[in-house]
Amino acid sequence: MTVPLPKQAYPGRILPVTLPAGPGGTPVTVGGQNALSLAPEGEKPNAAAIGMEVRTGGGDLPPALAKAFECRATDPVSLAGACANDWGAQFLFLSLDGCHPDGGGQPVEEGARIVHEVLAAVSCPVIVGGCGEEETDAKLFPAVAESAGRPVFLSYADEKNYRLVGGAALAYGHGVVAWSPIDINMAKQANLLLSDLGVPPERILIDPLTGGLGYGLEYTYSIVERIRLAGLSGDAMLARPVLCHLGDAWKAREAVDASETSWGDAVLRGRRWEETTGWACLAAGADLLVFRHPGNVEAFREAAWR
Amino acid sequence: MALTALDIYKLLPKTNCKDCGFPTCLAFAMQMAAGKAGIDKCPPASEEAKAALGAASAPPLPRIVVGTGDRAVTLGDEVVLFRHEKTFYHPTAIAISVSDALGDEALEERLRSISALSFERVGQILAVDMVAVRFDSGDPARFAKTASASLARCGKPLLLSGTCAALAAAIREVGASRPLLRPPPGETAAGAALAAAEKLPLAVSARGIEGLAAALAAARAAGATELVADPKPADAAVAVADSIFIRRLAIVHRAQEIAYPTAFDLGQGFPRPFEAACLLLSKYASLLVLDTADPAEIFPLLTLRQNLFTDPQRPIQVDPGIYPIGKISPSSPVLITTNFSLTYFTVRSDVEAAKTPAYLLIAECDGMSVLTAWAAGKFTSESIAALLAESGISGKVDHRTLILPGMVARLSGKIEELSQWRVLVGPQESSALPSYLRRLPPAAFVPVHG
Repeated sequence: MTVPLPKQAYPGRILPVTLPAGPGGTPVTVGGQNALSLAPEGEKPNAAAIGMEVRTGGGDLPPALAKAFECRATDPVSLAGACANDWGAQFLFLSLDGCHPDGGGQPVEEGARIVHEVLAAVSCPVIVGGCGEEETDAKLFPAVAESAGRPVFLSYADEKNYRLVGGAALAYGHGVVAWSPIDINMAKQANLLLSDLGVPPERILIDPLTGGLGYGLEYTYSIVERIRLAGLSGDAMLARPVLCHLGDAWKAREAVDASETSWGDAVLRGRRWEETTGWACLAAGADLLVFRHPGNVEAFREAAWR
Repeated sequence: MALTALDIYKLLPKTNCKDCGFPTCLAFAMQMAAGKAGIDKCPPASEEAKAALGAASAPPLPRIVVGTGDRAVTLGDEVVLFRHEKTFYHPTAIAISVSDALGDEALEERLRSISALSFERVGQILAVDMVAVRFDSGDPARFAKTASASLARCGKPLLLSGTCAALAAAIREVGASRPLLRPPPGETAAGAALAAAEKLPLAVSARGIEGLAAALAAARAAGATELVADPKPADAAVAVADSIFIRRLAIVHRAQEIAYPTAFDLGQGFPRPFEAACLLLSKYASLLVLDTADPAEIFPLLTLRQNLFTDPQRPIQVDPGIYPIGKISPSSPVLITTNFSLTYFTVRSDVEAAKTPAYLLIAECDGMSVLTAWAAGKFTSESIAALLAESGISGKVDHRTLILPGMVARLSGKIEELSQWRVLVGPQESSALPSYLRRLPPAAFVPVHG
């Protein structure tokens, strides 16, 4: 008996995007495929890239991360070094949450200085994330764009701030992460706006907003699938690599609460909560995944077959 | 091979009578071709058409039921490849393994830990579905005894993995509970004969899709009809590829010879079982067997399953209305949010954590979260003002102060214009509610007079 293998061919192809590295570092290229993830078909020149988040803000670490970071300095520059050199992160996502008015309120210059130091300390590609507060970010992105010693990606540009962030990226040769709130039309719109501004397509990544496991992950899952299917069907504005930032997984009570003994060990559970979010995003089609737990970086890098 | 919409259309009355609920016969034919409508919806169809299209409108993936009563588990019966196209109907069943080589005490402990794998999230109970009994002892009587104890202790449907001699012994004890039989690959025909005689579902195992198609044919030839397919992959990458191809063959190609619910055994040294479980939950597995009974691993898996099997068109909702939290009084704060279940339960648990008794006002927003409902025009100054006037909340408290989610701070002015209520803007994130509520001065909720 012969069963024909139901391989599927698509007319479109995801645009390859390269995140540049510093001197001596390895750049990261994602995209370039003409098939869905996980099915053994089509051409998939690049595996999903696995990165780690480094935060400038303080705040208590969840039990799983406290254990994983044990005995290490957790200031951003030292942690960045550990992520890149010891734990195998292919790129860093440096979140300047310390500049948020509620998260310490570091001055913008301090944020820009940390970016500069981290870029000097590691050679892997870096994505610099804003603090999430509109007014602060409006000052932060131009400052970072100017003071970064080498090309990075700026995260995020949305419908409101795309001129500012896109402009800063163009002026200093950076890339842009186009953010939209779990909405395929807004994802497309953000890419159109950046294109109109003149940002080259090979310097744009899509961030569809990643809901953590149990807290909206299913919306992200379906939006990523729809963005990918649209891109493979020939919609050039959506045929871009997708970045899933898994930070939301650590906001879940289930990932951090050690008081519920019937939920099992909080150290393992927290790690699994992030890992589960990551596998679902990979299955949906994500090209870049941003973790906080070193063990998950290792697990995903070993599974680079996708 | 599946019939195309045009093939189906040719067999329909072509009168566009709309009895089926679709505007034209062609539209109905397209729905049927997609597996989303059946010929039973077309009363005027000829007998010939009903006979020809009955098979075409059968679910592309058969429905297999394991177990009996409330705890019965349905495998298969899916119609789409992507959940946004419609929904996934039957959540991947999760079976936790038990070895019949365990001593009495260890067995009791294992069954206790399996029964404990139950968690409450957003008003739903998440639990593992089945117990998978493995024949490791070499003694069929012992296997039967373990199956019997597993059924009695956990009350969940059983997957019985063993030789036909062991299966036959176990069926005498637990056959009435409708277990799923899983003989080794070398005993497919004998196992199928046993399943056919006892009218029980059968899991057929053989490596790869080709091998599986041959084994399934052998099982059918031996009289078994309710089949589950296990492609026995070597690792997670092969497992998920097999799962995707089998589901596509069923849904897109209507290849009936391989269109069965899938089962994967991720125990007994399967490499990286947690990774495989996450990927197979995402990509179409109907049944997973796991050796771990660690709640730290099972809880995230069950939550992923809950997420992916939620109907995208019908988010989990709670009823709109007034929800008192704690020992409320007429001076308790009033908070408002939407009827998206996750939003409700998150806010509720944060208010409980604050230990401040409060009223939670839930607005009808089609189960959307605050920001989505606002963007969709379901959570507006007008709808909130109307709810304040009509819900009866003003009879329960003697103040007129509303705490609004920080995400929709911009609505506050208009609400104050439209209602008799003063608005306090709460935090953006629900997690900040405990500290926010504790900091509120009692003077915020003084009675109104006049």
